[in-house]
Amino acid sequence: MFKFFSPSKLFKIIDWIINSIQSTFFLFLITGLTFALVISPPDYLQSESVRIMYVHVPAAWLSLSIFSVMTILSLLNYIFKIKNFKIFNKCLAPIGLLFSATAVITGSIWGKPTWGAWWVWDARLTSMIFLMLLYLIFIITLKFIKKDNLALMIISILSLIGVVNLFIIKYSVEWWNTLHQPASITLKGDISVHSSMLIPLFIMLIVFIVYSALIFLMKYKTEIIKMKKKNLNRL
Amino acid sequence: MILEFLKMNGYGIYIWLSYGFVFLSCSIVYFKVLRTLKKYENAYKNELMKLDAKDRDKIAKNSKVARYVLSSLKETV
Repeated sequence: MFKFFSPSKLFKIIDWIINSIQSTFFLFLITGLTFALVISPPDYLQSESVRIMYVHVPAAWLSLSIFSVMTILSLLNYIFKIKNFKIFNKCLAPIGLLFSATAVITGSIWGKPTWGAWWVWDARLTSMIFLMLLYLIFIITLKFIKKDNLALMIISILSLIGVVNLFIIKYSVEWWNTLHQPASITLKGDISVHSSMLIPLFIMLIVFIVYSALIFLMKYKTEIIKMKKKNLNRL
Repeated sequence: MILEFLKMNGYGIYIWLSYGFVFLSCSIVYFKVLRTLKKYENAYKNELMKLDAKDRDKIAKNSKVARYVLSSLKETV
């Protein structure tokens, strides 16, 4: 099954997907922004500032999801030694860093009109900063540690620490008294957001997912070409 | 009306700052990744073109990636 994921086999499909996304992305973006900034109503309590949610929440969701995927890939790579999974992680980590930074910074901007402070060291915010740091260490490890086994071990350990942190991020608003509000949408399916806000939120989530796919595939294509170029130099 | 929209009931600065940050950071990442991709694509093409025709055909025969890069080169020529 893993042979299906061989870079050479995927190259043509990747190129086709990149071109398709590049030609349609603006359509997704304009639709998302129209819903987020124009169509969706202001909140009865937070007024217009609630519109920050449409970039803050998808970024936070994606930063958590990407780390979960990276953890699974790291552990599979540690067990089965599949080099392609290391490349997947190398391409995913910068996207995760971008979205975790986006979640932290937009959250901080949202905090000022809502809480009256740009930053508080509460559990949710601190654990998100820690996730950002983990992404950063991940990237540094993959870039600068040339010994494969050592890099693999460090990444696996980081992944395990990261999984604990993911649970802390998820449940921090329930375990401790935090300024951050509890989840409005839970994994069990409890939703306390009105559909007029839920639809723009999911449209913006799709925009973020499509953007992530584009960056991931472009980075993966670069890695394939790098590998092929290295092989060519060996001849 | 446009001014009202930009002011967002007094929250405009926070909203536009957030959206501006997201747009800027995502654009920087996109263009940086695109530039790196083009750089390596061109470098690989140049390496292939430096080879003599016989070797190039041999590599193109064995590598789908080389075949694809060379065919895209023909399209641009």
